[in-house]
Amino acid sequence: MNGEIRTAVIGFVYVVSAASASAVQFGDRGETAGRLRALAVQRAEDHLTAGSVYFESYDLFSRPYPVLSDEAFDSGNAVTVRRDNPCQRISVGCIRVIAASSASSIQAGNNMRLLGDSRIKHIRQYPKKAAFHALGSVSQQLDPP
Amino acid sequence: MIHFHVVNHCLSVGGIDVLGVSSASMLQVGDNDYVALYSMFDTPPESVIIGPLAPLPEPERAELSAGEPGSGRKEKQ
Repeated sequence: MNGEIRTAVIGFVYVVSAASASAVQFGDRGETAGRLRALAVQRAEDHLTAGSVYFESYDLFSRPYPVLSDEAFDSGNAVTVRRDNPCQRISVGCIRVIAASSASSIQAGNNMRLLGDSRIKHIRQYPKKAAFHALGSVSQQLDPP
Repeated sequence: MIHFHVVNHCLSVGGIDVLGVSSASMLQVGDNDYVALYSMFDTPPESVIIGPLAPLPEPERAELSAGEPGSGRKEKQ
């Protein structure tokens, strides 16, 4: 890389929320690895009687990443990148963000390697309601006044 | 062999207004060499169970697993 490393100049930032495993940064960073595992359970049952929930019960949390096959890279024909920075300043006037969710990144500056991983399992479980109403109550509602 | 030559001239951003940055997403003003973003969200139709409330399955060696603390998990002896 020719020239100096670029610097970031920020005028104004307004962030309302940055949730878990997220990053807001102004400046340079070498490596980012944001990771989130979540079991979102909705059950009509108390925590004390419902028992615990385990990540190990579900394959989603141990599933490997999909493999990116790059034949040119594997055969040694890697892409060589050369950067010239005649203007070293990254100038940002204003950033307004309402929300940044999990394992996400907001950055003004340079980064070398970013890996974000979010795995969410959503389970909903409700008790079964009575299939039919009593005949008398239904007929009373349907009768005109 | 591919040679990729980048010349970074003036990078100036006036204003950015974002309503949301979702899971495993990024908003960046600057340079990056390598980006890998994975997001797995599992809500299949069979995840909705309407019926008797059966307990959620426990894995093998559940006493060594990472459960939610304070929710009835058996503490290690």
